Amino acid sequence: MKPILDVDNLTRIHGPGCPACLDVTGPAHDTNLCRHCGSVVAVADASLRLHKGEVLGIMGESGSGKSSLVKMLYFDDKPTSGRATFHDEGQAHELFSLNDAQQLRLRDTRMGMVYQNPSLGLNFDISAGGNIAERLLMSDELSYRVIREKATALLARTEVPPARMDELPRNFSGGMQQRVQIARALSTGAPLLLLDEVTTGLDLSVQARILDLIMELQEVTGVSMLVVTHDLGVVRHLTTRTIVMKHGRIIESGLTDQILEDPQAAYTQQLVSSAL
Amino acid sequence: MHPADTMGQTREGAQYGFAFLDEDAKRELRRSIFKAVCIPGNQVPYASREMPIARGFGTGGMQVTLALLGPDDTCKVIDQGADDSVNAANIRNFFALTCPGVTGTLRTEEASVIQTRHRIPELPLRADQILVFQVPYPDPLVVVEPNAAKRRRMHGRADYARLWVKLYEDMVAFDEITISHRYPTRINGHYIIDPSPIPRFDVPKLHQADCLYLFGAGREKRIYAVPPHTDAVPITFTDVPFAVESFRDKTTGKRHTCRRCGADDSFLDEFLDDDGARIFQCSDAAWCDMRLERLEAAE
Ligand SMILES: Nc1ncnc2c1ncn2[C@@H]1O[C@H](COP(=O)(O)OP(=O)(O)O)[C@@H](O)[C@H]1O
Ligand SMILES: [Mg+2]
Ligand SMILES: [Zn+2]
Repeated sequence: MKPILDVDNLTRIHGPGCPACLDVTGPAHDTNLCRHCGSVVAVADASLRLHKGEVLGIMGESGSGKSSLVKMLYFDDKPTSGRATFHDEGQAHELFSLNDAQQLRLRDTRMGMVYQNPSLGLNFDISAGGNIAERLLMSDELSYRVIREKATALLARTEVPPARMDELPRNFSGGMQQRVQIARALSTGAPLLLLDEVTTGLDLSVQARILDLIMELQEVTGVSMLVVTHDLGVVRHLTTRTIVMKHGRIIESGLTDQILEDPQAAYTQQLVSSAL
Repeated sequence: MHPADTMGQTREGAQYGFAFLDEDAKRELRRSIFKAVCIPGNQVPYASREMPIARGFGTGGMQVTLALLGPDDTCKVIDQGADDSVNAANIRNFFALTCPGVTGTLRTEEASVIQTRHRIPELPLRADQILVFQVPYPDPLVVVEPNAAKRRRMHGRADYARLWVKLYEDMVAFDEITISHRYPTRINGHYIIDPSPIPRFDVPKLHQADCLYLFGAGREKRIYAVPPHTDAVPITFTDVPFAVESFRDKTTGKRHTCRRCGADDSFLDEFLDDDGARIFQCSDAAWCDMRLERLEAAE
């Protein structure tokens, strides 16, 4: 199997940082807060590999650093240290060595992100179709007819009624907003999707339908995904491999089935049992 | 006969040096102008000075013009196509007062520097002429991005997808692009400019022209340029052609003509006559006068 994404020792410290930050935080100290300098160690020395076509889960309790990790990969935030390599179209992009324009180019055309909060991933002042159009335009599609056709097809694929295509997404239900976000993320045929708590806060029946949709789209397109969630149901439903985070550290990783059936770390055991 | 009003024959009341601004201010303006010419379409900042008229009345264009004028220049001021509006007259009087030696003219072909609001003259400008636009809103991205620092980075990357999204939304709502003035125009394949409130009709005149176009925004303190022989392309979709005002009669399909000079290829202003009938007339008064003169001479 070929890798699509390699993350090496990624670290994000909020605050001034000090030489002791990494030594006095983490699961062993049961905190992500450095008592010497008051910095928050959101992510520390995180390394992972995502293979082409794979769906990798990132789970952990609230505040464990899951969102921080994917935000850096999507250039929403800059790491304190560490590297990430995105293997795409025969090239290995060192994500944090690229300039601003190169980063945004990759993000706009070769990656997709679906946020828990739709207002982060969508422009509520333009129509649902316009939100898709924006991504297509970013990847230099300048034919109105083609943009219109592609947006229609993408929204149909994520089960947004075509009649609502020209409405503002601010008037949509939460589930529908997530469908538009997913359509937008898929629009350029990007090989890498980052999903951050995409079903959190939705009705259970809506959650199930959106998870089914993501599964189906993944099977059809073969897109690689990082799926962030604190919900074991999502991990079980979508992922083949999972990593577990606590206080900014990756404390366990392996096949999802094994982790759910035979969790090694006490923390994971707690997570799994509390969900049962 | 066109009496060219001669500007600034006396130095009466001029407690300032030539062209009102001090030499430092003019030097700084010229530096910004050079920069603007070197990077076509790029908005170059400058320190906008206080002018004796309120900002929003062309102070940006005036400062650019003042930095260009020398005693041998011939200057024309246009407002909405005409030279005789209060605004144009005020600016012309100001130049007359502060620039001794500069000659004023109403004729496009006589002017070395033309300051304009709302129009580009119909008569094609020559390589020895400069057109200075008074610009109210220099940044086309302001409608999609409120943060100025972000807008600057977007310009740097030529990240203009959100401008096209506006066109997309227009097409969805109206089946056509409805922008009538300030049509976003891409310069030399990179920067997109707000070409000031000229009608669509004038946008193609920016493309590969012989003259230099300079844009001055007083309130926003920006200067930008479309140099001679530079591409200026209104943004659109590959399958939605850019179209200028056609002035066709909706029922007959025939193009309206100027009731004064008969022009069938100029930008027309529309009025109602005393009987309530629609009449059309060249918006560019100098063009209309020139055509009439020629017609009279031919008779
Ligand atoms: N901008 C920030 N400034 C300070 N602390 C932050 C910031 N963003 C996140 N954090 C902290 O980093 C830790 C990890 O946050 P986050 O990645 O959002 O966790 P998760 O997504 O796993 O719930 C938390 O303690 C959070 O409070
Ligand atoms: Mg989170
Ligand atoms: Zn510290």
